[in-house]
Amino acid sequence: MFYHNFKYTIKTLLKDRALIFWTLAFPLILGTLFNMAFSDIENKEKLEIIDIAIIDNTYFTKNEIYKETFLHLGNKNNKDRLFNIKYVDEEQAKKLLAKKRVTGYLKLEENSKKVVIAQNGINETIFKYVTEEINEQEKIIKSILEYKLKDINSSINLDKFYNDLYKNIKETMNNNRIQIKDISSNNLSYTMIEFYTLIAMTCLYGGILGMVAISKNLANISSIGKRVSISPVSKKKLILSSILASYIVQVIGIILLFIYTNIILKIDYGNDYLLVILLSLVGTFAGLCLGTFIACIFKLGENTKTGIIIALTMFFCFLSGMMGITMKYIIDKNIPLLNKINPANMITDGFYSLYYYDTKTRFYFNVISLLLFSIILLSISILSLRRQKYDNI
Amino acid sequence: MTTFKAFLKVLNKNKFIVIMYTAILVFFGVFNMQTSDNSIGYISTKPDILIINNDENKGLTKDLINYIEKNSNKVDIKNDEASINDALFYRDVNYIIYIPKDFRKDFLKGNDTQIEIKKTGDYQSSLADMILERYLKVASTYNEVIKDENLIIKNINNTLKDETEIELTSTVDKNALDKAAYYYNFANYSILAGCVYIICIILSSFNNNMIRKRTIISSTSSRSFNRTLLIANSLFAITLWLFYVILSFILVGNIMFTISGLFFILNSLVFSICALTLAFLIGNISNNKNALNGIVNVIALGSSFLCGAFVPTEYLPDLVLKIAHVLPSYYFINTNNLLTKIEKFNLISLKPVLINIAIILVFTIIFIVLTNIIFKRKNKLS
Repeated sequence: MFYHNFKYTIKTLLKDRALIFWTLAFPLILGTLFNMAFSDIENKEKLEIIDIAIIDNTYFTKNEIYKETFLHLGNKNNKDRLFNIKYVDEEQAKKLLAKKRVTGYLKLEENSKKVVIAQNGINETIFKYVTEEINEQEKIIKSILEYKLKDINSSINLDKFYNDLYKNIKETMNNNRIQIKDISSNNLSYTMIEFYTLIAMTCLYGGILGMVAISKNLANISSIGKRVSISPVSKKKLILSSILASYIVQVIGIILLFIYTNIILKIDYGNDYLLVILLSLVGTFAGLCLGTFIACIFKLGENTKTGIIIALTMFFCFLSGMMGITMKYIIDKNIPLLNKINPANMITDGFYSLYYYDTKTRFYFNVISLLLFSIILLSISILSLRRQKYDNI
Repeated sequence: MTTFKAFLKVLNKNKFIVIMYTAILVFFGVFNMQTSDNSIGYISTKPDILIINNDENKGLTKDLINYIEKNSNKVDIKNDEASINDALFYRDVNYIIYIPKDFRKDFLKGNDTQIEIKKTGDYQSSLADMILERYLKVASTYNEVIKDENLIIKNINNTLKDETEIELTSTVDKNALDKAAYYYNFANYSILAGCVYIICIILSSFNNNMIRKRTIISSTSSRSFNRTLLIANSLFAITLWLFYVILSFILVGNIMFTISGLFFILNSLVFSICALTLAFLIGNISNNKNALNGIVNVIALGSSFLCGAFVPTEYLPDLVLKIAHVLPSYYFINTNNLLTKIEKFNLISLKPVLINIAIILVFTIIFIVLTNIIFKRKNKLS
């Protein structure tokens, strides 16, 4: 009888098209959309070559430092290239700026230099910053010269002295004695969180399968439940086989999603595949328990229960960053307790810790929390189902 | 009137869905409002930098910290490695500088020193890189020549003083326009998911076989029935649009009273009408409420993701944007984005906007024609 109910539960679940759409197909569609929308964000956030214009007047052509530096920064063969420079007259520069073809333009005058920009922004800031930096050499040479001149006597050849100093300073500026060492992790791609919440959503949505399967055994919910209840089969067998059947359908869904996101969309789940499998099995189980809990506790129709699971899942996923990654961080930072009891966040955070952290403490904390969450819900469900008998209904 | 009353009844049953999508729109609208401050003068962009100082806070170290703090935003993060790492991952901070122990001493002696940093790798962190490198470069150059710490510090600050003159040409308040564009771009989702779904549900309730048979035998002519239904649904769509427009005045503020604001409103009206016809088309394709839910969700989420309602278009891959051209949402959102850039309103600057609006109208006509074809075929079959 166990096998009989198991087989037919799987069949009923797979034949319910709306159910299969929401639990199996919808996550795949959403994953595709996420991938299309987010795949380029991080690349486009990197510093790109900035379009600028420089007014090609006599002040500029005579100013060696500026000319040289911008030639270097705009050189196509330079790996540190920062600018794409157009050398134009003022009228053209204004036109280019008005059409937003350039971030801004630089105008040198006799005693001043002016950066003209159209709006505030990071490109504008960088442009201004670099123009300021060019002046540094001049300023440094000037102040060092002042400092040195105090000590030397007037008989020295000033020209030669100046030239030597200039060369020296240029050299020291290029040979910085302080090294900046980047020790950040390579795994800093925050859009991954979106895909982790997607897995969390799929795990919890899977609860709908469990809920539907269980509802078919409950006399006070559906007519099928009444028929099943009067059959001479122990309730334990019925419930267990239903739960197992829906769990298997859920796991199939998760496997599909993993294969799709990992192989086709190239989502990085870290290198520890065994732990990834462990987390997703536990996550699916938590979803199943949530579904069972809602099926057993609320005496409502199937559609309303589906609504409850969807709304709860969406709310949990919202808190764990699905609709904006920052949300997870805000909650984690300010109301950590809320996310510690949020199953979607336990799953998301589990994947996050596998991806970003070297230690496994945080990962296991999440797995254990999920198990606790599942056991609590399951126990309440079992308690409510025990010894349920109806004289009439 | 009977038809209209029945319409209101079905609408009332589904009011929570309308409230939910409106709430989402308001939430994301408000969420986005906090981040920007309005201004027309020049403000340099400042990266978020966190400094972990393991050295004594005096002399050159203190000056370095001062300089960095002056050019960056201070971030408030708990001082443990896990919180710091989380903050970096979620971009709460762009750049973390670890000043080593005895940095000042080693530096002044001219020893090789190493500063460890962590960075996010985006624009902001590149700017942070520049800020740090610049200070260190100037400091070490002076350190080679001058031996007195105080004099070094004085010279460094003199050199780093900011002297470039900045002229800002734009007169429009880009921040406020961006807010308006963000709000209306997001409304794309609320209109498609909320409004279209509700209309589909209402149509499917009326198209239910039993109900249809009952209406057919009633004394009301099918023409008047259909007309009432069309008017009622249009009224609903327009009311919702008006409500969203009023909300935009509250959330976005004064910029809505300008010509740009007027175009935002006009653009959203045209799009709402297009959405209405789309709803009629979908409502006529299927009567199954579950299927409708799926179709509408896929269309709403799909066009919102692909056309830039959630993620700004400049961050979308070019291929995705090309695909998006087949969706009306693309032209709606494109217009919103164009409106943030127009400074003077005349026929030339408005040309792309008008073209976009015309394209949305073409979509509207296509939807109407398709609905009619399907409707006629269905009637023949029944």
